[in-house]
Amino acid sequence: MFGISINLLAANETAPVGDIGYGALIALVLFIFASLWIGALANRATQKGSFMTGFFLGNRGLGAWALALTATVQSGGTFMGFPSLVYTHGWIVALWIGGYMVVPITGFGILGKRLAQLSRRTGAITVPDLFRSRFGSPTLGLVASLFILLYLSFMMFAQFKAGAIVMKLAWPGSGFLALAEDASSPLDTKYYIGLAVFSVTVMAYTLMGGFLAAVWTDMFQSVLMFFGVMVLLFASLYQVGGLENATQKALTNTGPGYVFGPGYDDPAMGPKIVEGKPIPRMAYDVDRPRDFLPLSLAISFFCVWVWGGVGSPAGLVRVMASKNTQVIRRSIYLLSVYNLGIYLPLIVICICGRALIPELPGKTDEIIPRMALLTTKDWPGGSLIAGFILAAPFGAVMSTVSSYLVVLSSGLVRDIYQRFLRPQATPTELRRAAYASMIFVGLVAIAVNISPVSYLQALIVFSSTGSAATFLFPALMACYWRRATVPGVLASMISGALTVLSLYLLGIFEITPEQRIGQLTGFRPYYLLNFDPFLWGMLTSITSGLVVSLLTKPPAESLIAKMFDASAEPTTN
Amino acid sequence: MSDNTDSVVRTARREALLVVGIWLAAIVYAISTCYRLGYSRPAAELKLVFGFPDWIFWGVVMPWVLGAAISWLFGAVFVRDAHLGEELSEETDELGLGG
Repeated sequence: MFGISINLLAANETAPVGDIGYGALIALVLFIFASLWIGALANRATQKGSFMTGFFLGNRGLGAWALALTATVQSGGTFMGFPSLVYTHGWIVALWIGGYMVVPITGFGILGKRLAQLSRRTGAITVPDLFRSRFGSPTLGLVASLFILLYLSFMMFAQFKAGAIVMKLAWPGSGFLALAEDASSPLDTKYYIGLAVFSVTVMAYTLMGGFLAAVWTDMFQSVLMFFGVMVLLFASLYQVGGLENATQKALTNTGPGYVFGPGYDDPAMGPKIVEGKPIPRMAYDVDRPRDFLPLSLAISFFCVWVWGGVGSPAGLVRVMASKNTQVIRRSIYLLSVYNLGIYLPLIVICICGRALIPELPGKTDEIIPRMALLTTKDWPGGSLIAGFILAAPFGAVMSTVSSYLVVLSSGLVRDIYQRFLRPQATPTELRRAAYASMIFVGLVAIAVNISPVSYLQALIVFSSTGSAATFLFPALMACYWRRATVPGVLASMISGALTVLSLYLLGIFEITPEQRIGQLTGFRPYYLLNFDPFLWGMLTSITSGLVVSLLTKPPAESLIAKMFDASAEPTTN
Repeated sequence: MSDNTDSVVRTARREALLVVGIWLAAIVYAISTCYRLGYSRPAAELKLVFGFPDWIFWGVVMPWVLGAAISWLFGAVFVRDAHLGEELSEETDELGLGG
């Protein structure tokens, strides 16, 4: 099967198999210099005011564009995992990602204003800081910071590998940009060079500019991405002769499942070998196609994207850093336009992709780079344009890593070093601790990636659903519920986290039988009653948060008054 | 709820409830429409609207565009601006937690 499809590709000339020349490398190098320059600019902006608020929170000065374009979940996955899913399963993926239609409103409209206020009232710089001061409980702060360290470490280590691999494959002559988690491809010197260049760049600009450097590079990359996607959208539609043609051709290249729910599953590309590892098939499902999105998962993902975005610690921090309520309001509609211009076009591009490139066995993650090359190959300067489109995943990975570096380092310095180890630390000591912790986290990530992790995308999904199930309801309680107690919040955090974790452990260690639904991966959860673990995590988190709070002693009225009541101090407007 | 509750808390809570309502409306509409029109139909019944399969157009694309319009209305008109309060100076630890 494999051999046949390669011949097909070579024969019909539609799939460029050649390499991309110097375009991608030039684009990446430009990108690296731009990021370092942004880091230096951020460094200057951070000099004002106190080191901690400046370095870790940009002096609470984020404007609407910065908040809108950087606060929501957008990582390497946007350009690798997601397009691959559209290419593989078809139009159903539009429903899978459909929750994004309300993400701008939910992301800023539910917690935004109140969180920004609360973080000012408490002087909080980090999310654990906020819990600690809002509830007057150092224990709660410590538990929150341990959970954040856990989830973000998983996330970071996965992203480092992605960054290194993009670098490696951008070398001319490396063949194709393969972002696939291809365990069979040998790692060579190019991977290590890629890892080194990637790590040094990210750490350098993050060390220079801290939070602002992370935000600004993120913004720069988001804008670049938007234009890249627009160019690619028109180029793809032009090449295929309109969306109607694309859908029809994609349909003939696949089967009816491609245009209907629960999604297309090509048995030939199917699940026998995943990431180099055979997946045992159950006797009863040999002939049954995989249901990519049964009703239960459609409901699950409409919740995952929305509430995962609201509850992610990196997103919460950005809201805390926003300058004022005008910024939050404007971010809502800026982001809604932006999302509309990214996700629907990406879906259209990948459907065109399936029409133009009938098969990509085992390399569906390459669909966006391949479309970039294919549609621009006859243009003057096409290789450089393609290079910039290819730089988008690299930029997405880089900015994700730098924002996690900031959150991780702020966790270590603020929530552990300053709170527990050395409360009297001087600004110079804090600065040194911040740099040291960032370098430490970076070195650990490099060490882990010398023999890199598999299951990149699945790790990201796990960390983001896990952290949302841990923090979302506690954050809601902190913002809006006077009666919430410390034991209640602790119970809510821990039970949400444990639920998600145990459902994943059941799936990963194959204690439960393989369910033929959802995305195909070895790092799979057990979908209890066919629902995603996130829903079960939220259910236990909400229940235990409410029940335990009501069963325990109400919080001190003086503390609550400080957090909820009109402040006694004169307001300035 | 005490009468002294800060106005930011009150408006934020009201806005949050409205947003949850919008989310509920979106999930119910999108999923029921897609499920009714788009699951397990024979390929011969495929109808396209602007090149999108009809169920994707009515179930995802249309509400997405509408969602952007609602986001604008919500952000530009409904959300109240408010003063968020002054930054606590970092060295003061009002709660006396020894931080």
